[in-house]
Amino acid sequence: MATPLLEPSLLRRLEALAVLVRRAVKGQMGGERRSVSRGRSPEFADFRNYTPGDDYRLIDWNAYARLDKFVLRLFVAEEELPLSMFVDLSGSMDWGRPNKALTAKRLAGAIAYVALAALDRVRLTVFADGPTSGGVPYRGRHSAQALFARIESFPVGGPTDYSRLVWPISRQRSGMTILITDGLGESALEPAITALQLARQEGAVLQMLAPQELQPDWTGDARLRDAETGAEREFTSTPATERAYRTALARRTGEIEEAARRRGLQFALLTSDQPIEDMVQRTLRRIGLLG
Amino acid sequence: MSVLAPAAAALALTLPVIVALYFLRIRRPTRVVPALHLWPDQIRDRQANVPWQKLRFSWLLLLQLLVAAFLVAAAVQPALSASVAFAPHSIVLLDASASMQARDVQPSRFDEARRQVGAMIDQLAPQDRMTLIVLQSTPRIAGSATGDHDALHRALDGINPTNGPADLTAALSLAAGIVRAGDDARAYLYSDGIVEPVRATFADGLPFPVEYHRIGLSGENVALTSLVVRTNAQSRAAYLRVQNFGQQARSFSLEWRSDAGLIDVRPMTLAAGQAQDVTLPVPAAATTVTAHVTAGDIFSLDDSVTAIARVPRAFRVLLVTPGNVFLEQALRLRTDFQVDVVAPAAYVGASAYAMTVFDRFSPPALPDSPFIMLDPPAGSPLAGGAAIGIGRVRGSDAGDPLLANVSLQDVHVARSQDLNASTFGRTLITSVQTPLILVREEPFRQVLVGFDIHESDFPLRIGFPILVQNLSEWMLPPSVPSRSFHPDEAVTIVPETGATSVTVIRPDGSRRALATGSVATFGDTDLIGVYTVDQTLSGSTDRSWFAVNLFSETTSQLKPAAQLTLPPTRNAAAAPSTHRGFIQVWPWIALLALVLVIAEWLAFHRGL
Repeated sequence: MATPLLEPSLLRRLEALAVLVRRAVKGQMGGERRSVSRGRSPEFADFRNYTPGDDYRLIDWNAYARLDKFVLRLFVAEEELPLSMFVDLSGSMDWGRPNKALTAKRLAGAIAYVALAALDRVRLTVFADGPTSGGVPYRGRHSAQALFARIESFPVGGPTDYSRLVWPISRQRSGMTILITDGLGESALEPAITALQLARQEGAVLQMLAPQELQPDWTGDARLRDAETGAEREFTSTPATERAYRTALARRTGEIEEAARRRGLQFALLTSDQPIEDMVQRTLRRIGLLG
Repeated sequence: MSVLAPAAAALALTLPVIVALYFLRIRRPTRVVPALHLWPDQIRDRQANVPWQKLRFSWLLLLQLLVAAFLVAAAVQPALSASVAFAPHSIVLLDASASMQARDVQPSRFDEARRQVGAMIDQLAPQDRMTLIVLQSTPRIAGSATGDHDALHRALDGINPTNGPADLTAALSLAAGIVRAGDDARAYLYSDGIVEPVRATFADGLPFPVEYHRIGLSGENVALTSLVVRTNAQSRAAYLRVQNFGQQARSFSLEWRSDAGLIDVRPMTLAAGQAQDVTLPVPAAATTVTAHVTAGDIFSLDDSVTAIARVPRAFRVLLVTPGNVFLEQALRLRTDFQVDVVAPAAYVGASAYAMTVFDRFSPPALPDSPFIMLDPPAGSPLAGGAAIGIGRVRGSDAGDPLLANVSLQDVHVARSQDLNASTFGRTLITSVQTPLILVREEPFRQVLVGFDIHESDFPLRIGFPILVQNLSEWMLPPSVPSRSFHPDEAVTIVPETGATSVTVIRPDGSRRALATGSVATFGDTDLIGVYTVDQTLSGSTDRSWFAVNLFSETTSQLKPAAQLTLPPTRNAAAAPSTHRGFIQVWPWIALLALVLVIAEWLAFHRGL
């Protein structure tokens, strides 16, 4: 029997969480989220003057008695949260101990499960040199297994081209988007992050790295092969080159974090050896993505 | 510039090998990395992995080639020409005598000489040999005909200055003895020239020339050159001689102390070259007395002298004579003799006496102790033949210590018994006609004089009391002589009868055990100071002392000799072939290579 993507015990603990959103959302179906639309719910939102054509059932007759004019009572509509997840399954993610891609799939599944349990709508997209849709949006806890199966079915490999995420991001409706990637593709991640801002997306960029990336565990002569492009280069690792590599990696991580924060997105650096529950319960709650 | 190991130049082949290694492809393991663009392009120095690719400039390659080049340069042992000319066999005579402890050159003459010899060893060429001889009272070979620098340095480091004189004659004899026929040798004498005069023992000349390297600059020194304690019936006093050997007047303090403490401090001033005798009191209870000058000069060995102040033990001596004032007075000159005089008729035995003198009388039974028999009556056991006329007398052996300071000039004997047939012992003083004085040591020391001293003018000569003194000291030697000895001078110690152990405690506290059964010669007198002799006698310890002082005006004058009178060189025309020594510079080159290795390591780690 194949190992499930997420253990049932973990799933039960995830049900206690929810995806936190700072703004009201605009969904297509009713849900548990405050909507930007005014609708029917027990929660009062505002008053506004009556204009012809309005539903006269919403007229506040007590106010009319006091003010001698028609005033409508507006209530908060509760709608679903549209949560989009973009998961990097390029060749660079297929690396590390534990494997970054596998960890990213499990993290995406965990976040998606939190959303599904709260009746939010989850759209899954994986990407490498281009985006691949995860199919129709998933909604409700019962669709979790289908989503998990879908995540696991995606192959891993190929180069990363973040620029090709711009279009699928920009066509999204306002909501929340979570981008899980190592950020190590040769193309810049910033256009995709900019697209998130333009699409009025709340969300987070979660950078997934392997511990061996942060602390290389080898020295000496080697023939380096790029996991995405297959390009090779002969190389001699010395303390000086190791310092240069770490500096370049730190610079890349810093650029991603800076770009994310500048555009109102959360950022977290995760390592693939971190337990999923630890990522969810500690890191993602710390940055305010889950609560 | 010469190279001592040219064959090592073959190691230069490592240079093209290093370059070739930069051409060879390195088998590198393939490592997949997530983002190759994050890794710096750091393979410039190893980029030339494609065979026959054009060699790129690389700091590492340059440094490695330099390191290899320097190591090869060190291996061939380049050497510069030295100032010293070496013969194939160099014999170094290093003066380790007392005067070399002078500090007119820092830290001392001996250390400076040792430094110069050390430099000479460093310059020795591989094919050369060196013999290291220590010039001291008994010269010795410290390093024998070897070219091993390390062995020579070890031998040199093992040499220490001594307090004794320098016997150059013995050292040259030793050096001549190790030079084989045909050996191309040259001797180098590192000394201040203060040596015992060379004795004429090199009739054929030395088999090598001697090069004198003078060590030392100055002769400024104030010395204590004599200290004697005299006891007479009234008092005891010490007589000290202080000399300024320098060219400048010096003022200093003279400290006078006994083993019980300080007695006196006197300020003194001596003009250049001046000597002064000082009489000093000796406390009755003192065992030793010490004089010390604080002149702050360049030589400290002669700044302190010690004398034994203890009154020696007295011997009872019996003189049996019908009357002999000369003999009696001569015997009484010994302060440690208690002389009893009896007439022959009153003689009853000599068992109570350490020594007996029979003058014109022979007892029926000779005593079992040392005795002197003068002119034994005819018919007695030791009597000689009929009296014969004698003229001038002479010593049988002028070098006999019993005749030391005894002048026999103008000594005449009128008549003497004919001792030609006597088997008494060896002849000490003789004449053309017959031996006159015989001595023997077995079963105990005895003297036979064949003539009546009244029939000679010998008692009127100064040599007579000296001879009596010499003979009595020889016959009754003190168990431990309480006088002062020179460094390295042998001391004769006669264990007391019944002594179960004899131990000498040296000034540094070290102990030497001596045999108890016979007369012992103690030679470990290299240290200056007071030596204590402990003898165990039936459970109690009998303690006596003797002193060792420098007491050498030759040494204390300190002024280095500008030239030395040395024996001529045999076949002077055929001087040994010499060549310049070498100053090896390879250690510096190797050090430079080490610096370059460190630079290469730093360059590698900095990614150059």
